[in-house]
Amino acid sequence: MSKINCILRTFLLLFVLSFLLACALVCRAATPDAEALLKRSDAYRNGWPSYVLKVKITHYESGKTDEEKLYEVSQKGTEKTYVEFLSPREKGQHLLMLGDDMWVYLPDTSRPVRITPLERLNGDASNGDVARTNYAVDYSAVYLRTEKLGAENCYVLDLTARRKGSTYQRILYWLRIEDARPVRAEFYLTSGKHIKSASFDEYVSVGGTSQLRRWTLYDEIRHNSRSVLEYSGIAPRELPDKLFYQGRTDRF
Amino acid sequence: MIMRFAISIVLALIVWQFHAVAQDAPQSEPRHDFRYAFSAIDDATFDSDLRPPLPATATMLKDPSVTLLQNQLLLEPSFTLRYHSRWSLASSVVGLADTFHGLSAADFNPPAGYPQVVTSLNAAIEPYTGTRTQFRVKETYAGLSAGDFDFMLGRRIVRWGTGYAFSPAGVLDPPRNPTNPTDRLNLNQGRDMVKVDYVRGPHAFSLVWSTSALAPAGSNLRDTTAFRYNILVHGFDTSLIAGDDRGGDAFGGLTFTRVFGQAWELHGEGAWREHEAILLGAKYTTTTGVSFIGEFYTPPNIPYYRNMSIGPTAGRQHYGLIYASKSRLRELPGWKQWDLSASIVTNLDDRSYTAILDANRRFGNHFSSYLHMEVPQGSKASDYGATPYSAATSVGVRFQL
Repeated sequence: MSKINCILRTFLLLFVLSFLLACALVCRAATPDAEALLKRSDAYRNGWPSYVLKVKITHYESGKTDEEKLYEVSQKGTEKTYVEFLSPREKGQHLLMLGDDMWVYLPDTSRPVRITPLERLNGDASNGDVARTNYAVDYSAVYLRTEKLGAENCYVLDLTARRKGSTYQRILYWLRIEDARPVRAEFYLTSGKHIKSASFDEYVSVGGTSQLRRWTLYDEIRHNSRSVLEYSGIAPRELPDKLFYQGRTDRF
Repeated sequence: MIMRFAISIVLALIVWQFHAVAQDAPQSEPRHDFRYAFSAIDDATFDSDLRPPLPATATMLKDPSVTLLQNQLLLEPSFTLRYHSRWSLASSVVGLADTFHGLSAADFNPPAGYPQVVTSLNAAIEPYTGTRTQFRVKETYAGLSAGDFDFMLGRRIVRWGTGYAFSPAGVLDPPRNPTNPTDRLNLNQGRDMVKVDYVRGPHAFSLVWSTSALAPAGSNLRDTTAFRYNILVHGFDTSLIAGDDRGGDAFGGLTFTRVFGQAWELHGEGAWREHEAILLGAKYTTTTGVSFIGEFYTPPNIPYYRNMSIGPTAGRQHYGLIYASKSRLRELPGWKQWDLSASIVTNLDDRSYTAILDANRRFGNHFSSYLHMEVPQGSKASDYGATPYSAATSVGVRFQL
């Protein structure tokens, strides 16, 4: 009898331990790795280590087209971005980002001019929206909740700026559960002011990778204002380091 | 029959798949790349109370001063052609038609019976009358990129200075006018030079030899050899400059810029040419997008730095600048297309100054209009007070393609 009791007690102990272990594993699996999700979502805007693309920004005011701007972006790694301004009024201007440092080259001054982080926020779609697209480098991520947004089941991440070069202080980021594809974002300044929202509208396959094709920025201060950013000509490209040299006045 | 139908379906599927793959494939790098720009500006400038620098015949002026209208029509095409990211060819030119109104021989009372006085008077006022055309080559150069080296030959605007209104270390820079530091009409011309750049990691070396052989008459340029080492270290964008003007001085210089926090940028220059010249400046950006720039500049009183209105015995000069600007006044309804800026440049020794106001309004993607005003103040013998007008007001229209 005592032998049977001993066996039963052992069984019960093993069963309880297994149950507790299983619970721990399930709980851990239910909380997604926010940093990994963020890195995975960046791949939709940074499909290769080095690439070029064209960005067309159309600004709408009260539903009417207000302004159009065109840029060519060259990106190498996560720290080097070179943006050439192609719109008629801005031709000859260039923007260079190296880590936390940014310069704008103006034909008027014929030399690179250092710009501050606050100057990057100029414009409906800011220089930062165009030049800084690696959120995993600029922000630390925390998982908040799971939420259904329209027809999409999404993870909601809370991103906090971790470097001076970050365009925004905080971002709320909705990523599709099945593939971490960005769906929506809300952008906040250091003051806590909700300044912009974004919807990630269209994706396209380029060289076998899904890349963001179009997204919309909504102005949360002037609610009748929005900017649509459309990407085209997305292509991997070998880019020399000297393209990203801050003192080079020999631009295109 | 069924077999033919099946083969057609298979062929159609194959064609569709190829088309899909072709659409999916990223674009390859183009062999040639061409960029162009065109700008047309019509600028009308009114010089109020102009005291034209006339010879003794000025005593015959009916009124002590005149209001002169200068209308400038500028056509500014530019292009750059790049071949295989190695070879490049670029050019930027300006066609200028300059018309004056407001001054003529009728404004004078020359003494009767002295035809040589009338001839002398007409020659003196000739620069302020009629229409003149010019063709200026701002830049024309060819470039070759080979590994870490870039070679350039031709006329090029090169600016090594970091200052906004002043730049003692800008040894190759076009002349900087503190009341028009951005060259708003794009009239500056580059220098003819051979330039070699070597960029390796964070280090950049530039060697320039510039000739004055083709420089415009009266430009005061010499053949210049200059070297610059540039590096970005802990956020400091720093340059060391050394060189020599043939038949003139050897010189050295140092420049730096650094951003602190979210809103501050500091910049400075030091140059040595017989004596030292120092520039210290800062820029502050508010959360509403207003930018402020302040600069302090002190050059020695030597011919290289001296303004025409400063005497050779006046000693070292001290200048200050305060500048404020806001692009796209979004916060004000109906003002989104406006840019505004205002500045004061002052000589701290004789307390003369010039106040400058700029307003720019955009119309669509191609057109803009602007207002530019300069109001100098100070005694007639002072640096800015010696300006021969009481106010210069410019209005203009710009078209860009």
